[in-house]
Amino acid sequence: MTLRTMLTLSTAMAGLVFASSASSAEYRIGITQNNVGVDSYQTTYDKAFKEAVEANDNVEAVVLDAGGDVARQIAQIEDLIQQQVQAIIIWPTNGEAVIPAVRKAKNAGIPVIVTNSNIAEAGFDFVKSFSGPDNITQGSRSAEIMCDKFKEMGIETTAQVVQISGQPGYTTAIERQKGFDDRLPEVCPDVTVLETQPGDWNREKSQKVMEAFLVKYDKIDGVYAGDDNMGVGALNAAKAAGREGIIFVGATNFAVGYEAMGKGEYWGSIYQSPVDDAKAALKTAIDVLDGKEVPFLNYFDTPKITQDNMSDFTKPVF
Amino acid sequence: MAGGFSKSDIGGILAKQGILIAFVIFMIGFTIANERFLAPENVMGVIRSSAILGVMALGVTFVVISGNLDLSVGSMMSFSTIVVLDLHDKIGPARAIPAMFAMTLCLGAFIGFLVGYLKLNSLIVTLGMLSAIHGLTLTYSGGKNMDIANKGETWFAVFGQGSFLGIPVPILIFALLAALLGMVLGKTPFGRKVYAVGGNGVAATFSGVRTARVVFTCYLLSAFCVATAGLIQASRSLGSQNTVGQGLELEVLAAVILGGASLLGGSGTIFKTIIGVLILGFIQNGLLLVGLQFYAQYVVTWVIIILAVWLDIAAKRGRLLSPIA
Repeated sequence: MTLRTMLTLSTAMAGLVFASSASSAEYRIGITQNNVGVDSYQTTYDKAFKEAVEANDNVEAVVLDAGGDVARQIAQIEDLIQQQVQAIIIWPTNGEAVIPAVRKAKNAGIPVIVTNSNIAEAGFDFVKSFSGPDNITQGSRSAEIMCDKFKEMGIETTAQVVQISGQPGYTTAIERQKGFDDRLPEVCPDVTVLETQPGDWNREKSQKVMEAFLVKYDKIDGVYAGDDNMGVGALNAAKAAGREGIIFVGATNFAVGYEAMGKGEYWGSIYQSPVDDAKAALKTAIDVLDGKEVPFLNYFDTPKITQDNMSDFTKPVF
Repeated sequence: MAGGFSKSDIGGILAKQGILIAFVIFMIGFTIANERFLAPENVMGVIRSSAILGVMALGVTFVVISGNLDLSVGSMMSFSTIVVLDLHDKIGPARAIPAMFAMTLCLGAFIGFLVGYLKLNSLIVTLGMLSAIHGLTLTYSGGKNMDIANKGETWFAVFGQGSFLGIPVPILIFALLAALLGMVLGKTPFGRKVYAVGGNGVAATFSGVRTARVVFTCYLLSAFCVATAGLIQASRSLGSQNTVGQGLELEVLAAVILGGASLLGGSGTIFKTIIGVLILGFIQNGLLLVGLQFYAQYVVTWVIIILAVWLDIAAKRGRLLSPIA
C-alpha cells in the first residue's frame, strides 16, 4: 500500500468517525487551524474553541489542525468541502497558498471565515468574514504605550528604539511592524528607530538578536517586540548585559510578560486573549449561518496593558 | 614563479585550509564593517551562545565519523529543555537534572538500537525521530511554554548564566566536554573503532570490531551532549517554548561538516568541529552587527555549507576542480 492510499484511507476513516458522530445539531462547522501545539496561544485557542462548541447545543464542529503545513491545510479544506460542512473556519498557514482552496469552498456554496491572521487580499472575494485581532492597531497602540512612557520620563526628544519583529512573511508580523512604524513618528516624531530585525516569534532567537543590538548600540531606550515571548528574550539579554532602564513593550501579552511587568522589568503590551479569539471566530461563523449582517473585518478588541493598569486584567493562561 | 609556489601548490593549500582562510577573510571584513565585532564582550557573547550548538556538535561529530547521521538532535534538545524545566518545579533541580539526562539517554539508546543493531538507515530513523520527539515534547507539555516559577531564587541558573573566573559557565562546559570527547576520539581504542566503522564498516567487522555496539555508543554520546545542551539552554532563559531546538539539527550538521568531517564517515576531529561551530557563530553574529536581515543570513549560511562540502571533496582528491567526481 502506498503512503498516499494510506493517507487517503486514514483521512476517510477519520471522516467516517466524524460523520457517524453527527448528531441533531443545527450547524456543522469545520475548522482547520494553523499549528496547534507550536505555541501556547494556539494551544489555548484550540481548547477554547472546542469548549465554545461544547457549550453550544446548536453547533458541532470538525476540528482539524494543519500542523503548519500548507499542503495539509489545503487537503483539509477539500475534505471539509467533501464532508459538506455548513461553514469553514480557516487559520491560514500561508495567506497566499490557501486561496485556491478557499475559492473551491466558496464555489461549493460553503461560507469561509478566516480567523486570527487574514489571507492575502487576492482572496478576499472568496471569504465571508475575517475574525481576529487588528494587528495594525496593535502595532500603533504599542507605539503609543512606548511614546507615553518616554514622555513621562521626559526623554521623548532623544530616545532611541530597536524593534524585534515576528517571523518574516507572516501577516501578523508585517502588520504589527507597519502599525508601529507608522504610528511612532506621529506621536513621538523625535524618537529614532535604530534598527529592526526579526526574532521569528522565538524567545531564544530574540535574545541573540538583542545581544547583538546591545553590542552595536550604546544607547537603547526602548525595545518593541512583536510579541511578549520575544520581548522577554530581549529583556533577558539586557539583564545579562547589565543594561538597565530600557523600556520594553511587546504585544500578545503572555504569562511571562505579565510576570515581568509585575516585577517592574517590562513596561507594557497588548492584551490579546486566545479565548476571545476562538469565541469570536465561532460566533462569526454562527452569525453568518444565521443570516446576520457580519462586517468583513470583524475585529475583537485588544486593549493596552501596562504596569499601571495590569491589575484590571487576569494573568494570561499561556 | 616568485615565492616558489606552483599553481597546484596553491590549489592544494586552498583545498586543505580553504575554510580557515575564508573564516579569516570574514573576520577581517566584519571588523572593518563594525569595529565592535572583535570587542571582548562580543567575542565572549558569541562563544557563549555558540556553546549550546557546540556541545551538540561534539556528539554529532561521533555519529558522523561513524558513518551515520543524526537529524533528531534539534527536537531532542527541545525535549530535554522542556523536561528539565518542568521537573525543576516538581521535584527540585537536584533530581530534575539526572532525571532529564536519563530520559534523553533513553531516546539516544533507542535510536542507537535501531541504527546500530537493527542496521536501519540512520537518515530515515533520525528524520522520523525528529518529528516523533517533537510530538513527544508537545504531548508532555500540552503545547504550553514551560517556565520556572521563581526565577530569582534558584541555583539552577548557574549552568547558563553563571561565570567562573570571569569565564561564562556555558563556555567552560563546552571546553571541558570538548577536551574530554577529543581525548576519547583521538586517544582511545574506542575512538579508533569509531573511525574504523565509519571508514569501512565491513572491514571493521572482519577485524573483530563490534560495529553495532560502536554505533550504539555514538548515539548514546550524542544524546548525552544534547541533554547537556538542553541543560544550558534551560538554565540560560529559565523558560522555554516547545520549539526551542527547532532547526538546530541542520546547524549542528553544518558545523560538523564545515569542520571537515566527511558525510560518508571515517574522517573529522573534535578540534575541526569546534572551528566549524565558531565559524557559524561568528558569521551569524557578524551579519547581525552589519545589519543584514535574517533572510540573508540563511542564504549566506547555505553558501558557506556548499563551499565547505566542495572544499571537503577537493581536499580528498587533492585539487579544486576535477574532471571526474
